[in-house]
Amino acid sequence: MALVRMIGLTKKYGSTLAVDHLNLEIQEGEILGLLGPNGAGKSSALMMISTIIKPTEGTAEVGGYDIRKNPYEVRELIGIAFQEAKLLWMNTPWEILNWHAKVCGVKNPRQAAEAILKELNLWDARKKLTHELSGGMKKRVEVAKVLIQRPKVAIVDEPTAQIDISGKYQIWEKIRSLRDEGSTIILATNELSEADRLSDRVAIMYHGRLRICDTPRNLKDSIPGGDVIDIRLEAPVENSAVSQLKSIPGIVDLAFTKPTHMRIYLNRAEKMLPQIMQLLSTLGIAISSINMKEPSLDDVFFHYTGAILDESQATPAVSSS
Amino acid sequence: MTKILLVVERDLRSLIRHKSILVMRWFFVIVQIGIFGLAVSRLIVVMPNYYNYYAMGVIVMTMYSVAIFTGYEIYDEADDGFVEYLLSLPITRRELVLGRSLAGGLRSLLFMSPIIVAFLYFMGVLDPLKVLTAMAALYGFAFGVSGLSITLAVGLKAGDRFDIIMGALDAFIVRLSTALYPLAFMPGPIAAVSTFNPLTYASDLFRWSLNFDIRYLANPAVALIVLLIFLTTFNFAGVMIYERNLEGGTWR
Repeated sequence: MALVRMIGLTKKYGSTLAVDHLNLEIQEGEILGLLGPNGAGKSSALMMISTIIKPTEGTAEVGGYDIRKNPYEVRELIGIAFQEAKLLWMNTPWEILNWHAKVCGVKNPRQAAEAILKELNLWDARKKLTHELSGGMKKRVEVAKVLIQRPKVAIVDEPTAQIDISGKYQIWEKIRSLRDEGSTIILATNELSEADRLSDRVAIMYHGRLRICDTPRNLKDSIPGGDVIDIRLEAPVENSAVSQLKSIPGIVDLAFTKPTHMRIYLNRAEKMLPQIMQLLSTLGIAISSINMKEPSLDDVFFHYTGAILDESQATPAVSSS
Repeated sequence: MTKILLVVERDLRSLIRHKSILVMRWFFVIVQIGIFGLAVSRLIVVMPNYYNYYAMGVIVMTMYSVAIFTGYEIYDEADDGFVEYLLSLPITRRELVLGRSLAGGLRSLLFMSPIIVAFLYFMGVLDPLKVLTAMAALYGFAFGVSGLSITLAVGLKAGDRFDIIMGALDAFIVRLSTALYPLAFMPGPIAAVSTFNPLTYASDLFRWSLNFDIRYLANPAVALIVLLIFLTTFNFAGVMIYERNLEGGTWR
């Protein structure tokens, strides 16, 4: 059963189309990974379904309540941990969580705040003002708000940004537990491994639009020529060489993530590799390294957007297809 | 109602963190009443007991400047993105505005309480009913000013414009009121404008409740009605603008 339904959800800021007619259903009890670079429209979409900003067009329903007509009822079902921790400098983690728990109607707010502070290793810092906390600690306080609230729909926007690796595992475990206890989770992230590790389904957003949404397994299988060979070259190659490589039967796609980083999508890579090496050798193209791998969400993202996730804000990758 | 009280609790707690601002303003009020007030009241010979008139005016003026702080706080919160957090909570916009206005008024009153108590003690006002009436007049005014401040902050949604308007308002609202001098001593046009100023009625109602000479004050019944209209209008406007205008992420 869909707990969240986005229906043509659109947000414009002046002439900028941040979210472009987004249609997406999120099933009760699932973890949906919302994947995309900064500026893809993830946060705007999440802020609309949280009723923080108003849609320009379209709407969404949360638990059957329309975000335009019943915003208060929607907010009673939703909890959000923002991308940037929304904390005022003059408050302490103890005050923040205690107050948040009371506002959200948590039973025994003081006990709940104490428990979550201890679980997230924030107990010793509970009386510090937030401007005295590290970035990672602030982020943990932000995530703690959702964990203490246990909302029907929990939105976590880049929950492990700025958090060290052991902290990441701890937060991931908490997110899974939250789902197991009955929450539906929307996980917005630009970390592919995070999305892959946690999500039941992944929705890819790019330039405000939903490109694809499916399980990680189905997404990986959906790439034509699912195997990937990454070849690092000593120097950029001529277009004619690229054309010759692309003409090898069985090569589905070829792209450059950098001028000297060639990525070949193909099937049966182990059989094709000698033929590719032979051609490169004939053309006098020097190779510094080769790596073969099965597709990842990175490849899925690249396939559906033509961009590399961690670089897509700066320079779109050059696709030859 | 519980949610409104939680908003009030949060805002009151934040006042304690601004210790340096509190001390600076107390210092300013004490110097203004204790030195400037004493000196200037010696110059004023046409009006009996001008020192008390002046001190009461300074108290109301300071209530205004503390209550208006709510709007500046909203801008600080917008800069930190904290507005978005508040908007995501299971609280209605109405509860948020009313909670913040009530807290703004209460903060002003709590902030000024030590000075008011000391002033009443030196004046020899010990009648609890009078003290209560005086406090109610001050609170009603500060509650309205908080509503005004929220209405302007959320309506403008631009920090620079808010600064300019509040600066201009601050300059005129005191001078075009009876905070420092009675209507009878003002030039005609200034007196006419001052009769539309809520600070006039707050100051005079406060003085009336402390038995100041009625000849120099506005009619207390009129003052009470004006203050009620003032606080109702701007809190209602604040609620309307908050519900219609306020969104996260679009502040300047």
